[in-house]
Amino acid sequence: MSIGIPTAQAQAPLQTSDVASLVRQDRVHRSIYQDPAIFALEQRQLFGKAWLYIGHESQIPNPGDFVTLKLGTQPVVLVRHKDGTVHVLYNRCGHRGAVVCNEPKGNAASFQCCYHGWTFATDGALVGVPQRKGYAADIDLRDPSLGMVRLPRVASYRGFVFASRAADGPDLDTFLGPVRKSIDDIIALSPDEEIAVVGGVHKYEFRGNWKHQIENLNDMYHPFFSHASTVEKDGRQFQRRSGDTEGAQIGGQSGGPNAVFEKIPLRGFPFGHSLCGAMPFNGERGGPVFEEYRRRLIARHGEERTRAILTVDWHNTIVYPNLCLQSAAQHIRVINPVAVDRTEVYVYPILLKGVPDPINHDVIRYLNVTHAAASLIQTDDLEAFERIQSGIETDGADWLVLARGADKDVEEADGSWSGIGTSELPMRNQYRAWTRYLSEGAL
Amino acid sequence: MPDSLHPAPLAKPTLAEVEAFLYGEARLLDERRFEEWEELFTADGYYWVPTEPGQTDPLTRVSIFYDDRALMRRRIQRLRHPDIHVQDPPSRTVRIVGNVRADHEETEDSRTLHLHTSSLIVLEYRLGTQRSFGGLVTHALTRENGSLRIRWKKVELINADGVFGPLAIPF
Ligand code: FES
Ligand SMILES: [Fe+2]
Repeated sequence: MSIGIPTAQAQAPLQTSDVASLVRQDRVHRSIYQDPAIFALEQRQLFGKAWLYIGHESQIPNPGDFVTLKLGTQPVVLVRHKDGTVHVLYNRCGHRGAVVCNEPKGNAASFQCCYHGWTFATDGALVGVPQRKGYAADIDLRDPSLGMVRLPRVASYRGFVFASRAADGPDLDTFLGPVRKSIDDIIALSPDEEIAVVGGVHKYEFRGNWKHQIENLNDMYHPFFSHASTVEKDGRQFQRRSGDTEGAQIGGQSGGPNAVFEKIPLRGFPFGHSLCGAMPFNGERGGPVFEEYRRRLIARHGEERTRAILTVDWHNTIVYPNLCLQSAAQHIRVINPVAVDRTEVYVYPILLKGVPDPINHDVIRYLNVTHAAASLIQTDDLEAFERIQSGIETDGADWLVLARGADKDVEEADGSWSGIGTSELPMRNQYRAWTRYLSEGAL
Repeated sequence: MPDSLHPAPLAKPTLAEVEAFLYGEARLLDERRFEEWEELFTADGYYWVPTEPGQTDPLTRVSIFYDDRALMRRRIQRLRHPDIHVQDPPSRTVRIVGNVRADHEETEDSRTLHLHTSSLIVLEYRLGTQRSFGGLVTHALTRENGSLRIRWKKVELINADGVFGPLAIPF
């Protein structure tokens, strides 16, 4: 590497106008998964503008409670201030930039930097500077940029905290739109209509671009092949929900994939969000614990509403670009791009208040099986993601094909898209949003 | 003197016996003899790798592994499946078990559990990448028909709360 002297390899920075040429209606150019310049542009234009899921309010119930996490490579703190308000702070000292808080979680009256002892309130304000007299009298220590700077916008939908790195843009309700229903559906599973994200977190990573993961979450084409090692000879997978007597029917009678997968509804929404219909689970859920849980729901809502609550009609709901909710192995999944070819993913079980304890124990137990770093399911997806990242290194072809079902996409009156089954509609919907974010910078 | 009518109380294992047992267990895993490994556990045995340092409860917090015998069997069945993509090609591993020490004893129903701790380092190689794992392992051993069996095994990785690439082989 030369320093300061342009070399033959030096390239002009990627322009937002170049981006549209990398996405066609039914295919995407490999460079979107490989090019560090595109990754930087995504960080600025997409992750820098969209609402990003940060955490759940049940993780920080009391004033002073905090959790630290990363948005991409940027350390941040999710914290409840003494007045009860929730803030997302860049985990950076206003003096010379050191990370202030290293603990994964805790409770603090204030945060103090290890280097020269500057102290910050739990809303990020600078409240203490040792040997204050060493600074000129006219330096304004109330300048917010000398504090732990807050992300400009933070909002919560029913306890799900989102933040945006951009000062302007659509509000959270507009951004979420129809996917708010998926959050409502999960909360409704609790007889107290309250969830708790207090069951710890699975953390896994893969050597690949983050978009492999987000494309996978509504990909109903892959389970029979990717997850073949979890499917019995009769086509069934193992049990993965409390009260079930058997798992989903992944394979069909004739040895291939279950034909039902071709009928699962898919929906694409504005801003790149989407969902896929429920997996083909068979039979009524039952057993003494599940019946007790059902009784508690009925006591609150009556029979009919309880039946509707327990029939969640979606499997994975994607809130583009960094969140996915799953109803079967009930969890919140957060996708964190770390580099163009490295992605971390955090998976939090969603526990339900007001249920018999074994129901929540089952959520944890099944989530270990499906989404731990050592899970029986997710590991085979990660293998596929890493193989894509390696495979597209070849000069064999430049384009990845997202054409499946493209001739059957239906645009609905409300601006959403519908399709069925193993269509790649959710990915096409993601790239519509991706292109707009990256080329215009806002939606 | 003990005789066939008056057997000696179930013998406490010597440190040498426990070391030999743990080395044998490590070798079974390195040689991918997973079925024989599973057989080392009692019928109600379990294998636990927590996600948090100091985690005391596998029911209320997630775990990297928390397998009873049935889940171990399912995991091993998958390790033998021709389409387990994440083990194509299979991992090669080598384990070092050291610093084996007797801890305390516990009585559970009519059984005596002999708790032993050991330090474990695992090197794993697959597809051009070598990884290393390490931690403190606790074995709760009990004697069944004269031989040692594992009532439970807990692996406290030093990076339990870190981020992991895909894992397929028990530690
Ligand atoms: S860098 Fe934080 S007080 Fe100086
Ligand atoms: Fe999958």
